[in-house]
Amino acid sequence: MSWARPGIAILPSPDASAFRRFAWCAALVLAALAGLTALCKAGSEQLFAQSRQAMGTTFTIYLYAANEEQASEYFEAAFEEIERLDEALSNYRTSSELSRINRLAANEAVTTDPEVFELLQRSLDYSRRSGGAFDITVGPLMRAWGFFRGKGRYPAAQELAKARVSVGWQRVVLDPATRTVHFLVPGLELDLGGIGKGYAVDRVVVLLREMGVKSALIDAGSSTIYAIGAPPGKPGWNVRVPQPGNRLQAISTVLLRDASLSTSGNYEKYFRLDGRIYCHIMNPQTGEPVQGMLQTTVITPGATDSDALSTAVFVMGPLAGKRLLQSIAGASAFWVLGNPEARRTVAWRWPDRDRRTSRASRAMNSSVAQRNAGP
Amino acid sequence: MSVSISRPGETRAVPPSDQINLGVIGVGSRGKEVMRMMLRIPGVRVQGLCDVYEPRFAEGRKITNEETPIYRDYRQLLDARDLDAIVIATPLSLHADHVIASLESGRHVYGEKTMALTVQECDRIVEAVKRAGKRYQIGLQYHYAPWYREALQRIRAGKLGRVMQVYSYWHRNNSWRRSVSDPKDLKLERLINWRLYRAYSGGLLAELGSHHIDFANQVFGGIPESVIGTGGIDYWKDGREVPDNVQAVYRYPGGGTHFFSAVTTSRLDGSQLRVYGTTGSVVLTQIDGIFYEEPATEQSAALAETVLEHGVITGASYQAELPYRGLGHPIEVPEGKEGNANYACCASFIESVRQNKRPEADERVAWAEGVAVALGNKAIDQGGRLLFAEHVKMPA
Repeated sequence: MSWARPGIAILPSPDASAFRRFAWCAALVLAALAGLTALCKAGSEQLFAQSRQAMGTTFTIYLYAANEEQASEYFEAAFEEIERLDEALSNYRTSSELSRINRLAANEAVTTDPEVFELLQRSLDYSRRSGGAFDITVGPLMRAWGFFRGKGRYPAAQELAKARVSVGWQRVVLDPATRTVHFLVPGLELDLGGIGKGYAVDRVVVLLREMGVKSALIDAGSSTIYAIGAPPGKPGWNVRVPQPGNRLQAISTVLLRDASLSTSGNYEKYFRLDGRIYCHIMNPQTGEPVQGMLQTTVITPGATDSDALSTAVFVMGPLAGKRLLQSIAGASAFWVLGNPEARRTVAWRWPDRDRRTSRASRAMNSSVAQRNAGP
Repeated sequence: MSVSISRPGETRAVPPSDQINLGVIGVGSRGKEVMRMMLRIPGVRVQGLCDVYEPRFAEGRKITNEETPIYRDYRQLLDARDLDAIVIATPLSLHADHVIASLESGRHVYGEKTMALTVQECDRIVEAVKRAGKRYQIGLQYHYAPWYREALQRIRAGKLGRVMQVYSYWHRNNSWRRSVSDPKDLKLERLINWRLYRAYSGGLLAELGSHHIDFANQVFGGIPESVIGTGGIDYWKDGREVPDNVQAVYRYPGGGTHFFSAVTTSRLDGSQLRVYGTTGSVVLTQIDGIFYEEPATEQSAALAETVLEHGVITGASYQAELPYRGLGHPIEVPEGKEGNANYACCASFIESVRQNKRPEADERVAWAEGVAVALGNKAIDQGGRLLFAEHVKMPA
């Protein structure tokens, strides 16, 4: 804490003791004010932000900490955890545990560690509950459609037929007794792209909370965002849901607090052919990219859930999607359907900030995602 | 649909005789990572967790996903009957006591690197391994990294010509400090940040340099003959006792040097090992490797002819000795040999226990790395050149 020097007081004045008296008073008031500000600052925390590349995207963490050293310790621990999970869950790295499973599991039952096993169980559970809309085995389809390390292309019929044979979550056998993974068909491969980032965010949230962080925003490439608490003096963290294809234009703004929000869009990777848009999100049932859906955003208490569910309800659409979300406590969703020229939106239990605040300012608190969501 | 129908908690598919029960002493960040790797191996179970920091028990049990027995004293863990092998991931100064006690209890040992803090302690561990007749493996995971193995094979096959230097650095830009829940609790600070205090730690040379030192030992085929070192607490003046800026130069018998540098104030270069041979070089990172052919020297018969006819033109010297900026050849790991270094390291240990055979990174590999680190640190402390022959009993 430092006191401001009453510099004005020593300015030479032409005469007048009155002016001098005034100057002293002003200086004292200024000094007192400066002291007070410094005190407040010392007691409060500052906002820090850091970004790093991981899981094929950019993770950004915003957090409040007492000083730079403390912030740096939080960032190091958080990014170390994300890197650890990337090394376990990546399907791009040959050294990852997922790659090891993909290499071996068609030939033998592969033992894996409890953490990876549990995440695979959760993934298959989502497949079951979403009627196959969420499926971690769509990798061969993604390849056939040119979306693995590429921008997409229309596959040859033969290529597509071949890929479809190697897809299907029912062909993955998990045995909890031996903690093993076994594929019933060759060519099958697991891709945790629709759930891994959410899981990493959940892990970072636990870690940062254990370390004492009270206010933070963890952003996994903007597709999954978790808010720990709220910025000082604010009811929550502002998250803007963009118009599909135009990041600068928000179609909804929500206040997020101790909850997670995930968005899936058809505009991240896609190609156009004969007037149709082919996006990178596959409908596992048809073996083709989902049509007629532009964007889905889901809020749930946890990030693994919101990540998986935003993909699931993108494939399922609002009608079936709502039925699935009803079984998940605290879930809400926002769909943008149609095509870029003719959009329509469907909101379900959606806590749009502006809609509520315009009704009554006292509803401000109840518009915070975490409290409003759920029956 | 399940292959073998059994309920969780029931006997595993691996016959009891093949099950390996591990006890883990030290459940910090490294201990936990080793546990995750070990649990990817069929028939491996963690049956004991030992630590002196209470939160580690819950963290460890989260990884094992069961109510693993816990111990607050390593001697109690060693008294447990059902353990086949012990993983030791404690602060460096405790390695010798923990490793030797584990061996003497009749268990095989997976000991984290560095082997031990001092040359004498390294010697004592080697003797204890011999006495106990048990297996010891050092947790130098890069020793098992597939792209390191592949590079080493090329080096040994002479693809680089004669290797004259290993030039390596591990450069970071952070305090190397872990967050402590109560910063005023000095005991806790030393427990969590043991790497920063001399009583427990060999600093950056031990925690980072050991991997590179092990590789240089493999390249040059033994331990160095001398080392000079330098280092200081130059930037992070936060009460730490180990240097935050370290360089050591090792010389090997027969010619050849290993230069190692660790800084904590720049991450431009990251962690790299550059192996310079007379006809080629290899650059190894934490995920891959690249092979470079030595840039060709120009030789032209046409050029030799014209010099007689036209002579040469004189002028100011202009050719700069620029670094080679061409492309290299990525080191491809053959199919079936790809994989994770940490996993391969743990799998090697379990295999050596099951088949009762020497692991690749055995106590001799560990000793060579351990004494090089210990003497490197001694050189950094006292300055000047230090001869290995005066401080270690050379292995036969």
